[in-house]
Amino acid sequence: MADTDSRRDYGGGGGGRGGGYRNDRRSGGFNKRKRGREDDDFDQGYPNHRPRGDAPPGTRIRKGLLEIAEDPLRLPHEVAQNLAKLTADNYEDEYVKDIFATVALKLIVEQPFKIPFVAAVVLYANAENAEVARDAIAKTVPRLQEYLEAGQWREFKLVLRFLACLSPLYEEDAISPILDQLFDRAVDLQTASQDDTLGLELIKVILLTVPYLLAANNDETLRQTVSDLLSRTDIVASTQSPIEPLVDPYPDNNAQDEKAMPCASTISMLQRQLQEEEANGWPLKCIPRVYDPTLKPVKANGDGDLEIEANGNGETKTPTKHTFPGIIVPATVNTGPRALFPDLYFSLYADQEVESVPPTTNIASCIVRDAIVDTINILDFNRNATARFLNEIDCYWAPDTFVKRSTAFDKLRDIQAAGKPTWKPEDVAIDAIFSQVFQLPTPEHRLVYYHSLITESCKISPGAVAPSLGRAIRFLFRSVDTMDMELGYRFMDWFAHHLSNFEFRWKWAEWIPELTLSDLTPKKAFILGTLEKEIQLSFAKRVRDTLPEDYHPLIPTSKENEVPKFKYDDENTPYAKEGREVLTMLKKKAPEADVQTVLDIVRDQALAHGIEDPLVPIMDIYMTSILSIGSKSLSHVLSTIDRCKDRLLAVGPQSEAARRQIITSVMNFWADHPGTAVNLVDKLLNYTIVTPMSVIQWALQDHMDRGRALANLRTYELVFLTMFKVTNRVRQVVRERNNMTLPYSQRQQIDEALPREREGMRDLFAAIEDAVTGVAAGAQDEMVERFEGGEAEEELVKRWGVRWTRVWKRKNAVEEAVVGEGFIGELVEGELELDVVGQEEEAAVGEEYGDMDQVA
Amino acid sequence: MAPFQMRNTVERLDRPSSYAMSKYKKRRRPNNDQPNTRAPSPDLEEKLSTATTLYIGNLSFYTTEEQIHHLFSKCGELKRLVMGLDRFTKTPCGFCFVEYYTHSDALDCLKYVGGTKLDERIIRCDLDEGFSEGRQYGRGKSGGQVRDEYREEFDPGRGGFGKNVREQEAYGAEYAQGQ
Repeated sequence: MADTDSRRDYGGGGGGRGGGYRNDRRSGGFNKRKRGREDDDFDQGYPNHRPRGDAPPGTRIRKGLLEIAEDPLRLPHEVAQNLAKLTADNYEDEYVKDIFATVALKLIVEQPFKIPFVAAVVLYANAENAEVARDAIAKTVPRLQEYLEAGQWREFKLVLRFLACLSPLYEEDAISPILDQLFDRAVDLQTASQDDTLGLELIKVILLTVPYLLAANNDETLRQTVSDLLSRTDIVASTQSPIEPLVDPYPDNNAQDEKAMPCASTISMLQRQLQEEEANGWPLKCIPRVYDPTLKPVKANGDGDLEIEANGNGETKTPTKHTFPGIIVPATVNTGPRALFPDLYFSLYADQEVESVPPTTNIASCIVRDAIVDTINILDFNRNATARFLNEIDCYWAPDTFVKRSTAFDKLRDIQAAGKPTWKPEDVAIDAIFSQVFQLPTPEHRLVYYHSLITESCKISPGAVAPSLGRAIRFLFRSVDTMDMELGYRFMDWFAHHLSNFEFRWKWAEWIPELTLSDLTPKKAFILGTLEKEIQLSFAKRVRDTLPEDYHPLIPTSKENEVPKFKYDDENTPYAKEGREVLTMLKKKAPEADVQTVLDIVRDQALAHGIEDPLVPIMDIYMTSILSIGSKSLSHVLSTIDRCKDRLLAVGPQSEAARRQIITSVMNFWADHPGTAVNLVDKLLNYTIVTPMSVIQWALQDHMDRGRALANLRTYELVFLTMFKVTNRVRQVVRERNNMTLPYSQRQQIDEALPREREGMRDLFAAIEDAVTGVAAGAQDEMVERFEGGEAEEELVKRWGVRWTRVWKRKNAVEEAVVGEGFIGELVEGELELDVVGQEEEAAVGEEYGDMDQVA
Repeated sequence: MAPFQMRNTVERLDRPSSYAMSKYKKRRRPNNDQPNTRAPSPDLEEKLSTATTLYIGNLSFYTTEEQIHHLFSKCGELKRLVMGLDRFTKTPCGFCFVEYYTHSDALDCLKYVGGTKLDERIIRCDLDEGFSEGRQYGRGKSGGQVRDEYREEFDPGRGGFGKNVREQEAYGAEYAQGQ
């Protein structure tokens, strides 16, 4: 733990630190430059390399807590007991108090797996020294209050879970009253708006707290209270929120398709699972019971319960009960910093023939998933540590929850027949990571984080994880037709990136039959797109070498040309001579006036040929020459564009056709490297040489190819990146508008500019929707009469139209929920905080999903 | 007594490496013979706390700007990409600078891309105080990076054996003729 290791421990005990040079690793006299990374942390420090054994208690407590439950060879309750004893015995030391509270609280909000274990330490310590538990409660409850007020729902949930695990310590039931109040708020929110998501989040917190509460405390009245609560949550948890279909990874595009997975909402699953547990007397099998009062170290006089009376001299070792300070749930709860959406349960492995992960009917599915996903999203700052935790999840749950690590999938069937646990820890972990990759509308972190986490998991345990991934990939590929299109592209992006980290090894042979499919089928499009993305990360020849011969026609040798041909070198190209002249002039950096004379010749020739807009061939020559000069590398082309930007910028306002010709020239020149082409359009957008609308219309009007373009990766990427740029900009404007550190006058100006930006964005969404719904309905111009491919092809194209429509409707709704008029509220002067929840005003104009969330 | 502090329960990957910090320490070490008359340069740690540039190392000489762009834009739009070049031949020599628009994108890159593969090599990412003209050239004797002078292992992606090793082999090779 680099942050803390260099710290001196000033706790009592432990030998002096006079060891000096003897223990100093640096005095060895070896080359300083070859020291390991970590050593640097000590550079400013004093020699503190004390032999491990006699570390002072503070250090041992810190280390012990941080590593709690990680060692599968030590019994968790013994580890907890030892730590409890160590803490209790040294608790008069202020530094020990400090360390214990700090480390425990940090662990609770950073490593959710360890919550029951840390709680067990407190419970055991209470028997030895009641002050430990009293402090733990006193220091934790204010945190709970803070998180509640800030709307930090994940942290709130975790701290509440810890306090629920401590519930045997309280004089009276303290947790269920909190749950009750949360439930009341949830009902208020749900009543106020059917599109409410905060209320659903509160219900989720309640339902995820219940199992930990009852696992820690099997008090009969508590069970009764919880049963009451459950009967009330049912109505909210079991009703489908109107927003759910929007974030469903496998939308119901077509009634005849069988859904690859049902993806029920997590709260509806939890509700059913808890009712099931209730009916069976709350076994809650997966939750580790680390604290067992019967295991407390037996004292000489034995017979624990009688000790209170027996020990009149104050040396009581019987658990003391504590008062719970209580928290206040505000009348209006804070939505918090993140936009909330209903959480659907995504699983690649659940409810299949062999039970390699908990079935969706089992409470373990939700509880374990919740803890893993929180761990993943909290610890994004160290993917190696996260991968290690995921590799050892079996340590953090009740014994025998999982089958032994690295058990082969083929063996599970026999194990299942023998009635033993069959859940594969690798499958459970990988399933959870993928649930984030396929989270709609967006996961908490950049997708590449989840990619790298999968990569690290693979590196830690290749033999165990790779086969799980193989099954995941096959499942996803099988269902790629019915998957949400954006998620299909996320799958492609991950797959190509993943393979690039593992020598591009994949059993491509098994998809050979799919190669005969039409390019318009999602499966074939997936294969084509994946290869394209692999080439972008590597190069054509390398990728071709990793493929069976059947695939080779998909990577023509023309893709190996790093430098495309200059089309005007061919005499048959119109204006060939002028094209070459312009190229030479631009290479020599001739004055623009000279270039103009050549372009004037082109204009005259074009007019003579009856071409309506001579700027179109002119821009083709000019842009293609720039591209040819810049074909050596990205920086070459960018510097050439920069040099020639005046003419490029001037053309747009004169002729929209010429502006779109710039895009056409880029796409044609880099036809064999569409990734490079798309990237260049992105740069042209930054230069405002092309406009977002020109890109959208180029892709979805001019080059729609009767709807076929919708199956093409290039089309998706063009539209995706353009819209990302635009929406990001509008969000930025809103952020600045609400930035209280800016002077009010400046914010007013921004506020005035906002409607224009927003309208621009809406126009683009409307243009996309217009184009793709047309394809979905089969109304694309000429589409009906000119479909040579027959009905099958028409049907495929229509399906792409439907998939596109759904994605862009969702994106539109999400953006409206972030930057729409109804959500950002009035511009407020001064330090007044926007009362985000209170703003009900008018719902966003005509938006179906207007009330999705309230983010200021 | 200062209270015990702990930022996180596990180490963070989004911090400058010890190499970046050691350069700073060396620079700051006072020289006793010559009193330092130059104005103290701004604190490097402070500079790195807003850095948007990363140094990327261990690239293959054959990795293109497009490949680098494709991978690194997974962490945010790139503002600038400067290839590291051999001082004499002006060809890529296995490193580059990547500049993002925001500090948080640069940190994301450290967390999510550093230590993964590009062109089948594990690449190294480090926070950098920012590119300045001249830094794109290798500082090794023969024009490339210093590490490629002395490397004893064969690395086909980085010009085979280290330059130094190759020269030693060539030295005296004429005596082998006619044996």
